[in-house]
Amino acid sequence: MDPDSVAKAFVEHYYSTFDANRAGLANLYQEGSMLTFEGQKIQGSQNIVAKLTSLPFQQCKHNITTVDCQPSGSGGMLVFVSGNLQLAGEQHALKFSQMFHLKPTPQGSFYVLNDIFRLNYA
Amino acid sequence: MDPDAVAKAFVDHYYSTFDANRAGLGNLYQEGSMLTFEGQKIQGSQSIVAKLTSLPFQQCKHNITTVDCQPSGAGGMLVFVSGTLQLAGEQHALKFSQMFHLMPTPQGSFYVLNDIFRLNYT
Repeated sequence: MDPDSVAKAFVEHYYSTFDANRAGLANLYQEGSMLTFEGQKIQGSQNIVAKLTSLPFQQCKHNITTVDCQPSGSGGMLVFVSGNLQLAGEQHALKFSQMFHLKPTPQGSFYVLNDIFRLNYA
Repeated sequence: MDPDAVAKAFVDHYYSTFDANRAGLGNLYQEGSMLTFEGQKIQGSQSIVAKLTSLPFQQCKHNITTVDCQPSGAGGMLVFVSGTLQLAGEQHALKFSQMFHLMPTPQGSFYVLNDIFRLNYT
């Protein structure tokens, strides 16, 4: 599978899981995974999922505008996403950018080693 | 030097070089470096500098809003930047996000292995 398709498949899986059931993101992170969410640094799958499931909204929908990817060396892949985030009940969608550093698992899949999320304020 | 300080120093150096003399960015990239600029993929220091020096403006000024960084494993560092780009003569600044994957050089410095740039349209 070519890298762009892998990146696109990951992005679709990540955001559809996020939007349907944030707790389900746990198996995409491992103990050494790092998330920086609007400047707050969090490490490890458990803490990351705790942060994401505690975000102050019930329902949301990510709409992805751009996906760029590059190999990061030693089998890893960098994925750079921009899009908007619609929260239920809010009139205006929030714009965001996010980058993922994916590393291969022995089973032939990927997990997220690095994750950085930022809202893009107008 | 702590990672956040290293990331900030790199960002200051990168954008001040970009704004003063884009050709001077050549020694921050190597042959295997990759740039994706608004979706266009470019590889190698020479091609990357050719792209950046051919961008259709003479003068510009980057103003950085946020800098996030995380270690990428194997001594590398991921740096995620957001800010605005003011082009000379334009009334409104452009918003952008950019990610760098820095790898250490034998001399104790860093070079850019991966670089992805996207404008954030309102």
